[in-house]
Amino acid sequence: MKSETIVHLIKDWRVALLIVLVAGSLIGIYLTPPNPANGLEGNLQFGLDLQGGSWLQMEFQSVVVAYSTDKPVGDLIENLQKSLEADVIQIDENHLEIRKGVSRADLEPLFAASDAKIVGYQEGVSSFTADEVKRILNDKVNALGMQDARINLLTPTGSEYPQYVRIELAGVDMATAQEIVGKQGMFEIRIQTTGNETEHVLYGDQITSVGVPQRSPETQAWGVGFTLSDAGAQAFRDAALRYGAVDNPNAHNLVMLLDNKTVYSAPLSGDLAAGLRSAPVRSLSASTGTGDAGLEDAMTLEIHLRAGALPVKVNVVGSGSVPAALGEHFKTTVAIAGLLALLTVGVVVYYRYREPSIVIPMLAINLSEIIILLGIARFIQQLDLASIAGLIAVIGTGIDQLVIITDEVLHEGRVPSPNLYMKRYGRAFGIIAIAAATVIIAMLPLALMDLSTLRGFAIITILGTMIGILVTRPAYGKVIMEILSK
Amino acid sequence: MEFVRYDINKYSPRQMVALPLVLLLLAGILLGYTTLTTGLPLKPGIDFAGGTAVTAFTSDSRETIEATFSGYPLLSVGEGIGGGKYIQFGPMDDARYQSLVALINEKYPDAKVDQIGETFGKTLQGQAFLALLFSFIGMSVVVVIAFRNLVPAGAVVLSAFADIAVTAAIMQIIGIPLSLGTTAALLMLIGYSVDSDILLTTRLLKRKGKLDEKLAGAFRTGIIMTTTTLAAIAAMWVVSTAGQVQIISEIASVLLIGLFVDLMNTWMLNAGILKEYILRGGKK
Repeated sequence: MKSETIVHLIKDWRVALLIVLVAGSLIGIYLTPPNPANGLEGNLQFGLDLQGGSWLQMEFQSVVVAYSTDKPVGDLIENLQKSLEADVIQIDENHLEIRKGVSRADLEPLFAASDAKIVGYQEGVSSFTADEVKRILNDKVNALGMQDARINLLTPTGSEYPQYVRIELAGVDMATAQEIVGKQGMFEIRIQTTGNETEHVLYGDQITSVGVPQRSPETQAWGVGFTLSDAGAQAFRDAALRYGAVDNPNAHNLVMLLDNKTVYSAPLSGDLAAGLRSAPVRSLSASTGTGDAGLEDAMTLEIHLRAGALPVKVNVVGSGSVPAALGEHFKTTVAIAGLLALLTVGVVVYYRYREPSIVIPMLAINLSEIIILLGIARFIQQLDLASIAGLIAVIGTGIDQLVIITDEVLHEGRVPSPNLYMKRYGRAFGIIAIAAATVIIAMLPLALMDLSTLRGFAIITILGTMIGILVTRPAYGKVIMEILSK
Repeated sequence: MEFVRYDINKYSPRQMVALPLVLLLLAGILLGYTTLTTGLPLKPGIDFAGGTAVTAFTSDSRETIEATFSGYPLLSVGEGIGGGKYIQFGPMDDARYQSLVALINEKYPDAKVDQIGETFGKTLQGQAFLALLFSFIGMSVVVVIAFRNLVPAGAVVLSAFADIAVTAAIMQIIGIPLSLGTTAALLMLIGYSVDSDILLTTRLLKRKGKLDEKLAGAFRTGIIMTTTTLAAIAAMWVVSTAGQVQIISEIASVLLIGLFVDLMNTWMLNAGILKEYILRGGKK
């Protein structure tokens, strides 16, 4: 190709755009930030199966019920809590979250007993609870200084409520991952005796349930309710009496500690002190103050009260781990697969056209498509095995469409005039646009579904198809025209 | 290449559509029968039935592995090159699973282990079915809008449907289970299949010229398209199967079968219907 042809080509916006994107992708992968230690991988993000690590997928043992009733909802909640021995929380005007894996059939009679009706039933938790779970898991992972953890809430298609949480920990084996997720902190309540001295009252195992932040109607202050076991309530009363907290609450703060760090400290309220004088009290509430700050403190305190336990019970429904060495092996294997795919495609195309000036641009365009795809993926999608399969599938469809353009343009073996060329190119583009639209539509459900581990596959396929139709096919059309008109 | 010698103009439309329709019918019977007897059109893999899959590199023979895990619901032991083994177990209770994991860690500390619970598998099944359904409907809508003509659009949709059904039947016969990976491959097949169908339809309906020449031209282009795709997928299949990358190997095998099935459905079924349609003067 003559140098003036090249200059002419670069001035064309389609070709220029392609070059800019390829350069941008290479910069994104290798230079922002520079990462020479990773060699060819640069800044690409890899999924667990290529990097090594463990994943756990857990199902919330909880259901969300839409109800209707003429009676006060408080009674319904109380009845449910008693008969199910589970926390029941009102999410909004007509939905309850029941923190137990209970079937609709088992719930019907309980609702009927409280003069209420079940209008809708779905497994899962409210988004509020789901976020709390995510926060707790995040805290645990961060506390251990884990660099590379991903925690995702998953909502099955057709449901409004998150039903699963998936946690992925890079570079961690299965046993450690399970330990991290299951690990609980040590929670303790102590009472101030004299000065800064405190005495032990009870440990977190005496706390039987923890509520959600609520605002007291009288004081407008936020607080978190929690319940003690009988033994815990007795210990609490004994301590309050022995150290004089009942008589002089303000001199004897109750101090809550998580892993030996103070997370809450406040005196007994007057009501509670009076109550404790006559009998043990099981239901307590820790007040955190008014306004947004109060609410925020209440949310944190709730997590602390649970000592890292999740508000909802979870069952592990799926798990897996990949040792780093095996991940490395997979990485090599897929790299070979990709290169070999590109190479065989080259051979087949050469066999058909026997014309380097067609085959080389085809392969170059195909390669640039993959570079751009990787450049975009670096920011939005970690590469796992499935998305690499998508990448190779994109090589396949990509070359398909270049063949359509070439054959359409070269119709009857003659090189057409620019006018005719554009007409034929337009027709070819029409075919590949419809084909691209169908691929995108066909892959869309998979890309949108939370549950599927094949999201990467679908997202890469869709992205690849879009880059093809918007950037690389138009550029190829231009390049091949320049070459053929020589 | 053998296909190139197939003279697409030699046969009457009736002859062209006969073989694909018979195969579609047989596939329908097979899948229908499996659905009636097992509740699912295809044998489900671990993703959908629940169970444990282990990828390990070891010099132990298949017999040794079978002996090692004889106390567990062992389903199959697959072998790749370089000592790669893919071992599958059926669902088991948690205590059993924990002891299995301990055993695996002791024998093959560098193994990849994945486990899916039985009920979660059911959920995945339902989701995969939804994906397939939405994909197919979406594809049909795009095709109908693109052609605004029921016969050619119907032919494309029918041939895509036949691709999926016949490929699924072949999977069932040669024992490739339905998993997340193979479901994705079936979805991908919708995309691939429509590629060549649209080329064919556009060439025949929108170009001027003799029918025979247009058909032959479309066939030439279509064959090269599918062979290049086949080449890419074959490379993916060889490397991933040899290297024990199970999910890619599964996706690639289904795509390979599907592309061959698609050759038949595009150039016999779809081409046959279109030819008949044009001969009857459907095209103005």
